[in-house]
Amino acid sequence: MTTIPISTHDSPPFLLDLIYRMKIKDVMTRNLITARKENSLRDIKLLMKEKAITGVPITEPETRRILGVVSMDDIIRALDGGYIDAPAERHMSRNLIVLDEDMPLQFAISYLDKFRYGRFPVLNKERELVGIITSRDIIVALLVEVNKEVEKLEQKIVNPVPVAGEDIHLEFAVRKLDFENAGKASTEIKKVLKTRNLNPQIVRRIAVASYELEMNQVVHAEGGTISFALQGDRVVITARDLGPGIEDVNKALQEGFSTANEWVRSLGFGAGMGLPNVRRVSDEFSIQSKLGEGTTVKSVIFAAAEL
Amino acid sequence: MTFDDIIRALSCTVVVRGTAFETAGIKSLVSSDLMSDVLTTTEEDFIISTSLNSEQVVRTADIVGALGIVLVNGKYPQDAMRRLAEEHGITLLSTPMDAYRVCFTLGCAMESRGRASP
Repeated sequence: MTTIPISTHDSPPFLLDLIYRMKIKDVMTRNLITARKENSLRDIKLLMKEKAITGVPITEPETRRILGVVSMDDIIRALDGGYIDAPAERHMSRNLIVLDEDMPLQFAISYLDKFRYGRFPVLNKERELVGIITSRDIIVALLVEVNKEVEKLEQKIVNPVPVAGEDIHLEFAVRKLDFENAGKASTEIKKVLKTRNLNPQIVRRIAVASYELEMNQVVHAEGGTISFALQGDRVVITARDLGPGIEDVNKALQEGFSTANEWVRSLGFGAGMGLPNVRRVSDEFSIQSKLGEGTTVKSVIFAAAEL
Repeated sequence: MTFDDIIRALSCTVVVRGTAFETAGIKSLVSSDLMSDVLTTTEEDFIISTSLNSEQVVRTADIVGALGIVLVNGKYPQDAMRRLAEEHGITLLSTPMDAYRVCFTLGCAMESRGRASP
């Protein structure tokens, strides 16, 4: 069985902090499916099938104490040995490893690695069964926390608060065929420009250039980045992608030349107007492309503030 | 023209009332199903008419500063398009007329206004 690849020495500090900060009780499943010691293994087998689970704790309902666990292995052995109708208490695993609900999550991870069990019962201070923890619970909880952290980091990258009068530099990642988010970078750039007192027609030219370049990456490239820099009264938009590169740059600059497929066209793009349009709105325009490597397009627009 | 004039002339359903709904003075119309074409326009104070009902129409309208969008042929926007129009404060209308009718009707209306107040 593979181990969970979070070790105590070479994982990022954020993850280590997380697995010590989070308690087992924050992660475990509280919705318990249990059986009594008198229940037959056959009944438990049915319960497993019905609830799609692989282990059932056997409890004393009055005291909420755990007496044992019947796992899929126990059921297979019972079928082999012909005692599937015997009561659970005669064949359940009694040699249990349990966890305490206040232990850090790290304990559950190391126990899952150390022992070959798929689940551990979790007890409270009164030794009552309060939950069960599986590697799935841990993966889900870690993913939720890591997602939150990544979102925070992404916001820090995407939204530096522009200071009036100062230079601005923004960078956006663009994903291949992500039409849902296509245009977000340009919307952000336009928003930032609106905070400056610029000629609306120049703002529009900048927005058109960045939007065309962004759509080009969504449609044609294996993803890339759009970077935006306002240096004094000079706006530089640089679109760098990861390939595939343009075979004939001169052709790509002709109006109406397009390699876009039908469904891209059905979305209203791919008419071969993108690059010519970027060149039209730019004061300076340059393009470099190498097949198999990628394309870099640079558009410069002079944006003197209106007096 | 105001949005009210356009709604009356084209028998529109109002899907989203944008920020300039009451105040906009619409002077021109850009009609295309190609957003690439719309992006090349240099018109001012205009609306877009199109039969394309995707989010990219709203993004394009925002980029070129269009006052609103008229979906033709009775097209109705998906939720995502409607939400994006709300977010950007862009007026979104739907008309049962086809693109030709829309252009003809608004063209005549704008022309006669132009003559009335040169």
